[in-house]
Amino acid sequence: MRALSGELFKTVRRPSVWVCVIGLMAAAVTIGYAIPWLIETFPPAGSSRGLPPGTTLADFKVALYPANFVRQTLQNWSTLGGVFALIVGVLLQGSEYGWATIKTLYTQREGRIVMLLGKLGALAVVVLVLAVGLFAVDALASGGAAAIDGKSLEYPDFQLIVKGVGAIYLIFGFWALFGFTLATLFRQSAMAIGLGLAYALVIEVIIFTLIGSLGGDWVKEIQQWFPLANTGYLASSFGRVALRGLETGGLAPYRDATHAVSVLLAYVVAFVLICSVLLRRRDVTN
Amino acid sequence: MATTTNDAVVATHGLTKRYPNGITAVDGLDLVVRRGEVYGFLGPNGAGKTTTLRMLLGLIRPTAGTATVAGGAPGTPDSLTKVGAIVEAPAFYPYMTGYDNLRLLAIYCGVPVKRVDSALDAVELTPRARHKFSTYSMGMKQRLGIAAALLKEPEVLILDEPTNGLDPQGMADVRNLITELGKGDRTVLVSSHLLGEVEQMCTRIGVIRKGKLVAEGTIDELRGASTLMIRAQPADQAMAVLSSELGADKIKLMDGSAFSLNVDFARAAELNRRLVQAGVDVSELRESERSLTEVFMELTGTESGL
Ligand SMILES: Nc1ncnc2c1ncn2[C@@H]1O[C@H](COP(=O)(O)OP(=O)(O)OP(=O)(O)O)[C@@H](O)[C@H]1O
Ligand SMILES: [Mg+2]
Repeated sequence: MRALSGELFKTVRRPSVWVCVIGLMAAAVTIGYAIPWLIETFPPAGSSRGLPPGTTLADFKVALYPANFVRQTLQNWSTLGGVFALIVGVLLQGSEYGWATIKTLYTQREGRIVMLLGKLGALAVVVLVLAVGLFAVDALASGGAAAIDGKSLEYPDFQLIVKGVGAIYLIFGFWALFGFTLATLFRQSAMAIGLGLAYALVIEVIIFTLIGSLGGDWVKEIQQWFPLANTGYLASSFGRVALRGLETGGLAPYRDATHAVSVLLAYVVAFVLICSVLLRRRDVTN
Repeated sequence: MATTTNDAVVATHGLTKRYPNGITAVDGLDLVVRRGEVYGFLGPNGAGKTTTLRMLLGLIRPTAGTATVAGGAPGTPDSLTKVGAIVEAPAFYPYMTGYDNLRLLAIYCGVPVKRVDSALDAVELTPRARHKFSTYSMGMKQRLGIAAALLKEPEVLILDEPTNGLDPQGMADVRNLITELGKGDRTVLVSSHLLGEVEQMCTRIGVIRKGKLVAEGTIDELRGASTLMIRAQPADQAMAVLSSELGADKIKLMDGSAFSLNVDFARAAELNRRLVQAGVDVSELRESERSLTEVFMELTGTESGL
C-alpha cells in the first residue's frame, strides 16, 4: 500500500504521463472524428469515384455516430493507442534507471517485489485512465458529430460499452507491460521505446506479411499466438461498421475473443514474472 | 561508550564482492561498527567503499560473506526501516520539488509527513524546498540527500562521501551535523577519502585499501605514539650522546641536525640536560605527532589503489 501510494504520488505529478494521456485524447478527437467529419461533410471534388453507384463519402459518416463508437474506438486505437500505453510503461520504469532513483527506491523500506507491485499498480491506474478517457472522449465526439448532423444520439448498450472499455484496457495493459518489461530488461528508456515502437508498428506486420506470402494455413496457426494478431482479434470481435450499400463484412477474425483474451493475459502474466525475476536478481550499481 | 561486540550495529564477515568484469572490489571484509559510534570508512578512490556500502544496503549481492545491519539482513524491511543512507550522488525525481521528493520518501517509509520540514531545516534547504530538484546546485542536491537520510530518524546512518560537492561552509556544516547526529545512541558509518574530515567527525576509523581493511582503531591508535623532535648542533656529537642514552635504533636523523626520537615526551628535559652538558647546542625540542596524512599514506600506499 505504501509502495502504491508512493508510486501514484509521483506518477500524477509527472508531466510526461499527462502528455501521453492528453495526447491520446487529442489524437482521438482530431484523427478519429474531426478530420474524417470534415472530409466527409465537405467531400473534395471527385472523391466518390470508385465508390459503388449511389454512395457518397457522406455515407461513411455513420461510423462517426454514437451507435458505432465502441467498434470505431477499438478499431482505430488498439495499436495506435497501445503505443501511448507502451510509452507510459517505459517511462514509469525506465526513468528510475535514468535518474538512478532506483537506488533511492530500494533503500527506503519495502523489498523489491513490493516496490514492483506498487509500480504495476500505478501503471494499471494510468492505463485505466487512458482506456476510460479514450472511451469518454470518443463518446462525446461521436455524440457531437451526430448532434451537428441531426442524427440519432442512441448509444450502444451500457454492457457493450463496458465490454469495450475492458477490451481496450487489456490491450493497453498488454502494451504498457511490454514497454515496462523492455525498460526493465535494458535498464533504460530510449532502447525500450525504440524497440517497443518498432515491434508495435513494423516488426510483427512485416514478419507475417513476408511469410504470409508463402501462403498456407500454418502461417495463421503461428500468428494466432502473437500479440498484434490477438489485439486484432479482440478489436474485431466487436464487429465492423455496416455501411448502407457497401459490403463491409471483411474477413472474420481467425480466432475469437476468448482466445485473444487468454493469450493477452498470458503475456501479461509472463511480463510480470520476467520483471520480478530480473529485478530481484540484478545488482543495482548506478 | 559501549564496547562489546553485542552492540555491533553493522557487522560483516568475510564480505566479498567480485563484479562481473572480474574486479574484486571488496575482499573478505570483516567490519564491526558499534552502537553510538561515528565510524569513518576511509580509503582512496576505488578502494571499495561504495561497493561495501551498497552491499550493506542490499543494493548489490555479496559474492561471498555475510552482513547484518541494524539487526537485519541488508535490504530487508527489518534492516531498511532503521537505516538512512546516501550512496554516491543522491538520486531524486527531477520534475518534483525537493519538498515533494521528501514527501514521497516519507510515504514509502511510512513516516509522518511533518518530519519533512525538520529534515529540510536540518540541512538548511528550506528556502529552496519548493523549487524543482532539477534546478538545484550540486551542493543543494547533496543536502537534500542528507535530509532524505534523516527522514526515518534512523538508528544507523550510512553516508557515502556526504560532503562531496559542498562548499567549505557546507562541508563544515555537514561535518558538524554528522557529529551532532552521532551523539547519543545513533550509529553513523561515513565513508570518505578525506582524512581531515574523518579526523574531525569520527570516533573510530577503518582504513580500506584494495577491498581489504588494512587498519582500524581510534585516531590516536592509528597515529601511534608521539615522538620527540630535537634539533641540535653539532650533529655527530648529538648523535653520540643520544645513542648512548637511548640506543641507536630509537633515533632517526631527519635532516642535517634534526632528530626524531621514539621516546616518551617525559624524558625531554633530561635529554636536553645531557646534550647541553656534553656541549651540544639545542635549538628546538618539541613533541611531534605523526600527521594522519602520513599514516594514511603509509597504510594505503603511495601508489594508486586502482
Ligand atoms: N558496477 C561495477 N562494475 C564493475 N566494477 C565496478 C563497479 N562499481 C565499482 N567497480 C570497481 O570496484 C572497485 C571499487 O569501487 P568503489 O566504487 O567501491 O570504490 P570507492 O572506494 O567507493 O571509490 P571512490 O572513492 O572513488 O568513490 C573499483 O575498482 C571499481 O572500478
Ligand atoms: Mg565511492
